[in-house]
Amino acid sequence: MARARNRIAGIISAFGELLITAGLVMGLFVVYSLWWTNVLADRAADQDGAQVRDRWADGPGALDTKDGIGFLHVPAMGDDEILVKQGTTSTILNNGVAGYYTDPIKSALPQDKKGNFTLAAHRDGHGAKFHNIHKLKTGDAIVFESKDTWYVYKVYKSLPETTKYNVDVLQPVPKESGKTKPGRYITLTTCTPMYTSDYRYIVWGELERTEKVDRDRTPPAELL
Amino acid sequence: MYGWIWRHLPGNAWVRALISIVLVLAVVYALFQYVFPWAEPLLPFNDVTVDGQ
Repeated sequence: MARARNRIAGIISAFGELLITAGLVMGLFVVYSLWWTNVLADRAADQDGAQVRDRWADGPGALDTKDGIGFLHVPAMGDDEILVKQGTTSTILNNGVAGYYTDPIKSALPQDKKGNFTLAAHRDGHGAKFHNIHKLKTGDAIVFESKDTWYVYKVYKSLPETTKYNVDVLQPVPKESGKTKPGRYITLTTCTPMYTSDYRYIVWGELERTEKVDRDRTPPAELL
Repeated sequence: MYGWIWRHLPGNAWVRALISIVLVLAVVYALFQYVFPWAEPLLPFNDVTVDGQ
C-alpha cells in the first residue's frame, strides 16, 4: 500500500516537473522572440546598413542595389532608419530590414515613373521595424532615401485589418485605397494584432515630391 | 526527474550545483540556437506579408 502510494506520488511529481519545464521553455521562447531576435536582427541590419553607407560615401550617384537599395525613414514610427532590401522571405526580413515584394505582385521601385513600391517588415521580433505602424496617420511622411534622391511620400490611407489573402493591396494601382489612376504609391504591410499574425495591417502613401541628395546628405524638412 | 539528475551527478553539493548551472546554460543555448529558430516559422506569430499562403 505505502509502496503503491509512493509510486503514484513519484509519477505525479514527475508530471509536475514536466509542466514546470514546459512553462519555462515557453517563457524562454517569449524572451527569444521579443528580445533576442531583435538583438541579432539589429546587429545584422546595422552592419549591412553601414556597408551601404560606406559605399555611398563618395557622394550622390547612380542607383546602387548591392546590400540594399536604400533607407526608409518614418518619423511617426521612430527615429530609426530601416534598410530596404529585395524580397520578403523570412531569411531576408529576419535580418531587421524591410523587403520589397517580388512575389506575388512585383513591387515598383521608387524611381519608376508609375507603380506601387510595396514593402513588408516585422511587427515584433527580428528588429520589429514596423512595430509602430499603427501610429501612422494620414498626412504623415514616409521618406525613402536612395543614393541620389529623397522620395517624400505622404500617408493617405490605412487599412488596420485585412487577411493575408488580400494580395490586391499590392496592385500597381491599389484600388482598395481609393485610387483609380496610376501614380507613384508606397505600401507598407506587416502583421496585426501585435505579437500575432492573424491579420495584416496596410498603410498606403503617395509620392509628394523628390529631392536631390546633396553633398552633405541634408535630409528633407520632414526628417528635421 | 530533476531529483534523479541531482542524485546521479558526481561530487559534493557545490560540484553538483556547478554542473547543474552548466547543464542549464547548455540547454538554454541549445534552445536559442537550434530549437527556437526551427520552431518559429511553424508558429503563427510572425507572418508579415500578404501572399495568400
